[in-house]
Amino acid sequence: MNATAERRINMKRIFIISILFFFAFLVLFYLNDLPEIVMGTIANRFVEKSVEETGSLNVVTAILYDYRAFDSLGESTVLFAAVSGIVLVLSRKMLPVSSHGLSILVKRNFGILTPFIALFSLYIITHGHLSPGGGFQGGVILGVISIIFSIVYGSAFDYERYSPQLKTTLETGGALLFIFIGIMGIVFEGVFLDNVNFLNDGTGTLISSGSILVINLGVGLKIGAGLAIIFYSMIQKTFGEGLE
Amino acid sequence: MIYHLSFIFLFMLGLYTILIKKNLIKMVIGLNIMEAASFFWVIAISNTGGDIPIYQLLDKDIIMNDPLPQALILTGIVISASTTAFLLTLIIELNKFTHCIDIDKLEGLNT
Repeated sequence: MNATAERRINMKRIFIISILFFFAFLVLFYLNDLPEIVMGTIANRFVEKSVEETGSLNVVTAILYDYRAFDSLGESTVLFAAVSGIVLVLSRKMLPVSSHGLSILVKRNFGILTPFIALFSLYIITHGHLSPGGGFQGGVILGVISIIFSIVYGSAFDYERYSPQLKTTLETGGALLFIFIGIMGIVFEGVFLDNVNFLNDGTGTLISSGSILVINLGVGLKIGAGLAIIFYSMIQKTFGEGLE
Repeated sequence: MIYHLSFIFLFMLGLYTILIKKNLIKMVIGLNIMEAASFFWVIAISNTGGDIPIYQLLDKDIIMNDPLPQALILTGIVISASTTAFLLTLIIELNKFTHCIDIDKLEGLNT
């Protein structure tokens, strides 16, 4: 690269930095005039009424899966669309060439650890209405299991034990469970995704808050299987190209 | 004030990364920095000094933070993860065809 081109790139960099500084001061100027944050009327209503209306101690979960459950359905649809696009772009009729995995020490250790990871993710999913967590967070931990299988034991192990068909079934099943709960809301309460008060064992117990628990389960399965599918599509390509 | 300053710093850092860097992966990293800056900022300024928005069984009258921004940001995080995954997929596919992820060295779109 000669000196002129280098100077041009430096000029461009200085130009962009100065413009960014200008915008930063502009934004800071406007943010200074921001009124003091107070809780609005909607938030106060959610905080006051959510326990008696939904039975969920966690107000964020009550908002996500009861008041604004339709938004969560759309959010799941976005993830479903992303997974579909990724599988469509990366799809290939190719047998997965396996990696060999890590050493025997790591394999034995993760053999002990993996059931507890699965248990922890199930705990996070099913206690979404009682403690921090919920379907999305627990689903991400569930997706980690597939990554552990692929990296530690090799991708052939992942293909056998947790096959792509099973992942697809889990993801579709989670989405269908969500929509099924929504239609149950139409049948019993008259509104799509309204809270159906079945399996209610008193506020604060594990089996409470009606359909929130079931929606959490569906979303958790869906997110976990979706992330596993994304990871599997990506490594199938990489390992195949490296070893061909 | 410190929240506003750090939000602007992180956001402009991400924007700078997107505008200056030629590597596509680094541009995706810049986009992620911008998203994370927005999420942190919304959560930080919605903190009114209360507790987490979860009721305890024994202690009913606690003062909570606003639960609505937290629910919205949870939605945003999932969307951000989906778009990042899809962008990385497109970069993998581009690398397969052109063996290059530098936007200056990509010539034309007639691969």
